[in-house]
Amino acid sequence: MALPPSLRTSVIPAELELIASEQLVEIIPSVAMERTAFISGAYGPLRPPAKCKVPIWMATNLKLKKKCHIVPPDWLNLETLQGRLLLETTRPEFSEMPFRFAEIAKVLLDIASDDFQEPDKIRSLLKDIREARQAKSREGLSKLDHSELSLPNLSSMEINEIRPFFVRSMGVLTQLVKDPEARQMEQ
Amino acid sequence: MDLDDDPGPTNAKVDIVSQELAEETPFQQLLRHWMNERHAPDILHAQEGLLGRLLDHIKKQTDDVQLLRADPDTSEDEHFRIMLVQTEIERVKFIIRSYVRTRLHKIEKYARYIVATPEMHERLTQAELDHARHYATLTETHFTRAVLQGLPDEQRSLDDQVPFLPPMLSQPDKTRAVFAHALVSCPPVHLPDGSVMEMTRGQISLTPYHVVEQLLMRGEVELV
Repeated sequence: MALPPSLRTSVIPAELELIASEQLVEIIPSVAMERTAFISGAYGPLRPPAKCKVPIWMATNLKLKKKCHIVPPDWLNLETLQGRLLLETTRPEFSEMPFRFAEIAKVLLDIASDDFQEPDKIRSLLKDIREARQAKSREGLSKLDHSELSLPNLSSMEINEIRPFFVRSMGVLTQLVKDPEARQMEQ
Repeated sequence: MDLDDDPGPTNAKVDIVSQELAEETPFQQLLRHWMNERHAPDILHAQEGLLGRLLDHIKKQTDDVQLLRADPDTSEDEHFRIMLVQTEIERVKFIIRSYVRTRLHKIEKYARYIVATPEMHERLTQAELDHARHYATLTETHFTRAVLQGLPDEQRSLDDQVPFLPPMLSQPDKTRAVFAHALVSCPPVHLPDGSVMEMTRGQISLTPYHVVEQLLMRGEVELV
């Protein structure tokens, strides 16, 4: 019953998605619901057409049953993303993005693309941003040493992506630093 | 945030931490401990109190659902709410299960080390410790019966300390790197290269586990 081997080295994107789905998103419900106590807090009341904040997992659930529209978060639109892409391509550092932007964008675009204006353009912008950032994290590898690497504004999904390689690299560097010391002691 | 879960010393620093984490619901705490446990090479302190509270909450929600279900007057709208409540129960259950299984994996992997190291005992719940003891005995008996009893006496031991070879007793590799995210501004820590690092709030660093171990125990950083 221990953790399955496939999950032992790292978490998987689906698990990150599960965590991100706890975050709140605004919806416009089309069904009414009294305020209800959940384990993570009390949500509601839903009174169409008033907006209401619920966790993303609940919004997904309602959306799939066509019982609500999702209001995209304020950073998930063409204008903001275009601005971010410009920053990503012109500046050396990572621009500020919400920590779980990749997961949230994926979930919302998957289930509620009709609530976005021009979802395809948003998708392609997100892809460009992702690629620009990916190039930067590869460059970051050259700064890696055996003690510390600071990664400002790196998002959760990006960390997970570079984790196996970076963790192993650091392990190798630690070994390399340790070995000369051990050899000196020997002499 | 319950101070029972906080093993750190009671100084001003801890008070600041607990204040800043005050808005964390028990479920968010579980998510944090789940990720910490998944990423840390070592076994962390058991969160028995937190798990107990969440399991009680799950039971209460389940009971409420059962009651409403049994009631024939429950309307269509109510069924809809019930479905949402049940969905959440399943989500919480999944994470509790994954958390416990993560610990179980580490406990079985390091069972013999845990049994031999008294400092590890206090990090485990009684059930986990019993399991570790049982598992260690089981593997040792198996090794002895399968192979070791056929070897000469001096080669039978399972915890030889041979110089320049990794120890036979496998133990957590605290030099493995982790991604630490500072929840508050942290006191300075020493890095392996001799320099000092002071993590500011929100900073994310890739660094060997032993560097941030104390910060993690005090809940000042989380692993991501």
